[in-house]
Amino acid sequence: MAGKVNKLNLPMDDYRGGKSTLCPGCGHDAISNVIINAAWQNAIEPAGIAKMSGIGCSSKTPAYFLSQSHGFNTAHGRMPSVTTGANMANKDLNFLAVSGDGDTASIGVGQFIHAIRRNLNMLYIIENNGVYGLTKGQYSATAEEGSKKRKGNPNLMKQIDLCAMAINLGCSFVARSFSGSRKQLTALVRAGMSHRGMAIIDVISPCVTFNNNDESYKSFRYVKNNDTELHTLDYIPHFNPIEEVEVPSGGYKDVKLHDGSYIRLETISEEHDVSDRVMALEAIHKADVKEKHVTGLLYFEEGMETLDESENLVDTPLANLPDEMMRPDKKSLDNLLTKFRS
Amino acid sequence: MEKIVNDFTINIATANGTGSQSANLILLNSLFRMGTHVSGKNLFPSNIAGLPTWYIVRVSDHGYQAPGDETHIQVLMNIDTWADDLDELSPGTVVIYNTDVKAPVERDDLVLYPASMTQMARTLNPKLAKLVSNMIYVGIMAEMLEIPQDIIEDAISKQFGGKEKAIEINSQASILGREHFKNELKKKDPYYVEVRKRDEKQFLIEGNDALALGSIYGGINMLSWYPITPSSSLAESIEAYVPKLRTDKDGKATCAVIQAEDELAAVGMVLGAGWAGARGMTCTSGPGISLMSELIGLSYYSEIPGVIWDVTRVGPSTGLPTRTQQGDISMLYEASHGDTQHIVLIPGNVDECFEFGWKAFDYAEKYQTMVFGFTDLDLGMNQWVSNGFEYPDTPINRGKVLRTKEELAKIKNYGRYRDIDGDGIPYRTLPGSGLEPILSRGTGHDEDGVYSEKADIYRDNMTRLKRKIEGARGDLPQPILREEKELDVGIIYYGSMENTIQEIDDILESTGMKVSQCRVRALPLSLEIDEFVRRHDKVIVLEINRDGQMYGILRKEIATELVPKLYSVAFSDGLPPRAAEYAEAIIGTLESFEVS
Repeated sequence: MAGKVNKLNLPMDDYRGGKSTLCPGCGHDAISNVIINAAWQNAIEPAGIAKMSGIGCSSKTPAYFLSQSHGFNTAHGRMPSVTTGANMANKDLNFLAVSGDGDTASIGVGQFIHAIRRNLNMLYIIENNGVYGLTKGQYSATAEEGSKKRKGNPNLMKQIDLCAMAINLGCSFVARSFSGSRKQLTALVRAGMSHRGMAIIDVISPCVTFNNNDESYKSFRYVKNNDTELHTLDYIPHFNPIEEVEVPSGGYKDVKLHDGSYIRLETISEEHDVSDRVMALEAIHKADVKEKHVTGLLYFEEGMETLDESENLVDTPLANLPDEMMRPDKKSLDNLLTKFRS
Repeated sequence: MEKIVNDFTINIATANGTGSQSANLILLNSLFRMGTHVSGKNLFPSNIAGLPTWYIVRVSDHGYQAPGDETHIQVLMNIDTWADDLDELSPGTVVIYNTDVKAPVERDDLVLYPASMTQMARTLNPKLAKLVSNMIYVGIMAEMLEIPQDIIEDAISKQFGGKEKAIEINSQASILGREHFKNELKKKDPYYVEVRKRDEKQFLIEGNDALALGSIYGGINMLSWYPITPSSSLAESIEAYVPKLRTDKDGKATCAVIQAEDELAAVGMVLGAGWAGARGMTCTSGPGISLMSELIGLSYYSEIPGVIWDVTRVGPSTGLPTRTQQGDISMLYEASHGDTQHIVLIPGNVDECFEFGWKAFDYAEKYQTMVFGFTDLDLGMNQWVSNGFEYPDTPINRGKVLRTKEELAKIKNYGRYRDIDGDGIPYRTLPGSGLEPILSRGTGHDEDGVYSEKADIYRDNMTRLKRKIEGARGDLPQPILREEKELDVGIIYYGSMENTIQEIDDILESTGMKVSQCRVRALPLSLEIDEFVRRHDKVIVLEINRDGQMYGILRKEIATELVPKLYSVAFSDGLPPRAAEYAEAIIGTLESFEVS
């Protein structure tokens, strides 16, 4: 690896973080590595990234990647609102958020919903293992009905499917993946980073300590054996002309992303139309009925207005405005007072 | 009959949503245009239409602005409160009433001015009769009190700003009322208004509007808010000023406004904006502060600047949403779990609403913490006299933000939470700058911002935070003192009580008691307050709540030997304070102490 650099002449080491303190073998660490790789391959300036998270095992991981980026490990379930404010302050930042299933599907479900509704320009990765890890293994709201963790009774509650919810809310980029599918996940994270608007990737990420037994629907072995891939994914960055990329032998479709990059969807058995919400929901529903996990890019829509666009803010990030653009001049106040006195 | 000039209280009883508010404001504005000292208070229900509303206008050459303890002129328009309102009146009270309501007035000790207001309004426009009938009582009062018609018409024009049809019909209605009084009624009351020299600098404005402008001139970059009475009009006022005052030549805004999904999110957005280097603010009332408390602690501990204005209403719980109280002050000062302490700015009038509105952002960025503003429904939603807002006299203070490599290089041994200057305030860098990146967190951290659970590191950090906020005592708005040479009794008070204190003081003086006044304008408390207490024999802490919340803060913060000098006078019924009640309570408290 030594000496290998990306388009910005930066080695991958510039994208790494501190040493993980999660359990050895945790799915989250695999995702952290994918994030490091994806940011490096996409040649994103580390200083321009803002790492956002809430509370939980997953939300600790921003310490383990991109140590040259500022980050904010906020409070439980509050990452979306904090990101919203930060986005208003500096719309030029690349917001890379990591959350968990407790953070997103329970305590922060309201903020998750409203961040989607506002089409916040961010990549929102959910590291979804169906259990609360830091409090030692309680079921979360994404645990499937009938799934059983290592200790205790099977889960009796119905699961919240975050992808289905996001699609219904009009999210412009919705994907599901698996921490064990490095290639697929890397392509999705890279595409999510290129997307303008809210990109949600729900990544099943087995908890090796509390929820990795065979009776769990989110164990490594279960997901490996029951992963229904919608397509094979490839990411073609804007700085690599697409004409130079080898054309696959089977059916495929290239979807253009905001920054000129492409995500290539190669058909596996039947074609999935990513611009069709109903088809995406159908895929989720069918997999659910069969107790499978459907993975891939479920839904995609380019060009939806983002919050920072609809707010019609000045070009300079608000955090960098000169004083004279912050405080109206004295004459404006004098005029107002004259009007009040009339 | 001896004339009573510029010294009376008018109470107008209507129902919510009947359009009386504009008529009432026209009356208020006319009196203001005559140069009288006048104040208006809207006692409104938590309801859109139909429930009782009272509007109280006080005219006082003494400058008294509290609603007063007695009604001199009662307007009756609302059947639902008709009988109760009548029962409460003292003999001799003037009653102007709408006979079309068809309710009885069975008292012979009152001065009665009946008028068929709805019928009269119907002659102008049958469809608008209900709305326009309110202008009939304004016209009657104008004739009765001798307010010139041109003044009424100026006020009508201002109220309806260019809407010719509205101006015309309201002006006609006022004339109908006036002529009815002239032709059908005979003046039997002693009340008159006389012109006083008007201070040309003055105007009437709501506290929330003044605060909105203060925020705009303070460089607000993001307002996130969730609708709640009585703070919504503050948010809406900011939103209304942004297009005119905070957009560039291309019409692009320098301030984002987001209506949040709840108060948890509203304050989260403030933290996000502050963390990324912009000026974020939210405004709310007590229930919102309860919800925001979680992230207020995160702001305190991770040292993220932000501003929260609490326009308080009556708690606990949903309480009385459209009534006023000073019930949140102790909650604000120590909001969130664990040891916290927050800067609280406490304006006492509309001019200070403007001033503290812009200063709040400077304090927040200077001290890298959440700064609260504390007002209440009374100050926020009623119209008060402004003497004119002063344009900010100091440049914007962004605090210790390092924006360039050169600035960073000047700091030896930089650490996000290292106390380089000995004032407890560390330096910070912003996301996107590439300078000294850290992962901000609400978990324990060392001077470099790295996670730590070590005992001494935790303790040292918390000690520094205490020192940081304590350091603001002399820097925040200092108390306003008005001292008597006797130095016998002092009164410490704060916020909107400013509008009642002079009347209380005069009542006490009429009993032979001379009191000094000390108005607290910020927390943590200025050390001048210790000295004020030290100089006086007895000190009353006067406030509009049940438990004496400021009294509690004072007991904790002033020198121990001074604590026995403090007496709490605190009560609240949701109504704006009436001077006589508080004056009696002060006398009662001091007497009971003397007996024991």
